[in-house]
Amino acid sequence: MKGPGLSRRELLRGALAAGAALLLPQTRARAADPLPPVWLDGGPLPWRNWSGFQHCRPLLRLGPASESELLEMLGHASAPIRPAGAGHSFSGLVPSDGSLLFLDGLAGIASVDAANLQAEVWAGSRLGALGPALAAHGQAMPNLPDIHYQTLGGAIATSTHGTGVLLGSLSSCVVGLSIATPRGELLDCDASRNAELFHAARTSLGALGVVTRFRLQNQPTFRLREKTAWRDLDEVLANLARDREASRSYEFYAFPHANVALAIATDETDAEPYSSGEDDPDGLALLQTLFDLTRRLPGIGTPIYDALLRRSGTSEHAGESHRVLTHPRTTRFNEMEYTVPAEAGPECLLEVLQTIRERELPICFPIECRYVREDDVWLSMFHERPGFSISVHQFADRDFSEYFAAVEPIFWKYEGRPHWGKLHTLDAARLAPLYPRFREFQALRRSLDPHGRLVNPHLASVLGI
Amino acid sequence: MRGEARARILLLLALCVAACSAEREPAAPIALSDANARAYQSACASCHSRPGIGAPLTGVDADWRERRKQGLDTLLVHTVEGFRGMPPLGTCGLCSEGDLRELIRYMAGLP
Repeated sequence: MKGPGLSRRELLRGALAAGAALLLPQTRARAADPLPPVWLDGGPLPWRNWSGFQHCRPLLRLGPASESELLEMLGHASAPIRPAGAGHSFSGLVPSDGSLLFLDGLAGIASVDAANLQAEVWAGSRLGALGPALAAHGQAMPNLPDIHYQTLGGAIATSTHGTGVLLGSLSSCVVGLSIATPRGELLDCDASRNAELFHAARTSLGALGVVTRFRLQNQPTFRLREKTAWRDLDEVLANLARDREASRSYEFYAFPHANVALAIATDETDAEPYSSGEDDPDGLALLQTLFDLTRRLPGIGTPIYDALLRRSGTSEHAGESHRVLTHPRTTRFNEMEYTVPAEAGPECLLEVLQTIRERELPICFPIECRYVREDDVWLSMFHERPGFSISVHQFADRDFSEYFAAVEPIFWKYEGRPHWGKLHTLDAARLAPLYPRFREFQALRRSLDPHGRLVNPHLASVLGI
Repeated sequence: MRGEARARILLLLALCVAACSAEREPAAPIALSDANARAYQSACASCHSRPGIGAPLTGVDADWRERRKQGLDTLLVHTVEGFRGMPPLGTCGLCSEGDLRELIRYMAGLP
């Protein structure tokens, strides 16, 4: 979730004006399920995901320093053994009362193939550190997601993606990998060697084993220029077929309860790095304040809100690709994302917005809309289908249940595939028809982890174990 | 009796003011262990060494002055459980309570 170019100055001015008209108590919804801090008495530390919604108290937290150590742990550690990545997944992929695996000790670049612009990278590498590390070798990943906390292993295991009709998810950049299985093997695979494993393990949910290394197909380092612009949502949707092709990367944010969108176009550039316009880290929190205030002004709140959004500024940045594409974010949220067939995207989005409006859901968090190229990865959301990914968010300290429950059936209607790392309610029976190779993935998982040492309750549900 | 009580209150207030004043002064930066130096680079630095994203910056006294007044235990609870923009465990899943205390002291200038 990129922070829309919201200017603190303009939003504050609007919020103060609205607040002067109507003094309101701050509305706060319930926080996520709390864990009492019994660990302060010397107990083991709890684990929570980035948003704080998922949590567990694992018996063991393990940090292998080598592949042989990892294989030993997979054979003997308390089950379920779950690779935790950086804990950014919103879904229940990680929680375990057995063992959590952290691959911080398996991070960095293992080897570089300069001739083929490939690099073998340890799975525990954080995306934020990987960009500069690859750049030191003259290489860059073709695309990246917005948030850079994730480990490479976690991002690829869930088919994490950026945007661009000609750009695939991170999984599609993998040309080979090594995976440690609970059977005690370290298997190498690529398109010609262990090909079935290769097609499955590029989006594996950590269910086939623990991927230790990825061979990435990169490109020479390049610079990007990102420009944001406020538009009428109608205008954005009317020009979508043109605009999505016109830039290397294109995405937009639709704002619930307003006919406005923030369009973001990114293209290659030779320009020296520069930055203009504000990118306020508190912009989303200010947006919430402005929304809470204006929605209490009957008849005039929505036009005021709409007008203030349009005045909240734009931004333009240029720089090395990894610096433009991916960032730290300090507004935490929970998220649901479904990828629908590319051509169905706008209609699905409009139905989501209409539902929010009709049910008067108090949601202001912008809805992110991105295009992703199709691929051949068995459980990728983009398997043999170019996708339009629609991401709905709610602030981490607010209840998302009513919102997500209201919009999820709309995604189903458009044959949406849920992001594996984000919140959804589908089980294996509902997921299998969405993925032509679902049964093959299940069979491969049974052969690689016959005793279910990697299976936690969430995996059991989504994979039908 | 009343004068004695007043004197005690004044003494307590003076001690409190002294303590609060002491809290405002950052301690000399502690040295991190090798493992925690790696954890800092891997998990903490992306926010706490990067200006402009809203996180308090390591070693910048103004960013930590008010936070230091909350005390190390409170900062630790916020770190472990997540607080506002701070993600749980600071995304350092392998860090122990002792590791987190050391990292907080390092960033906040706590003794």
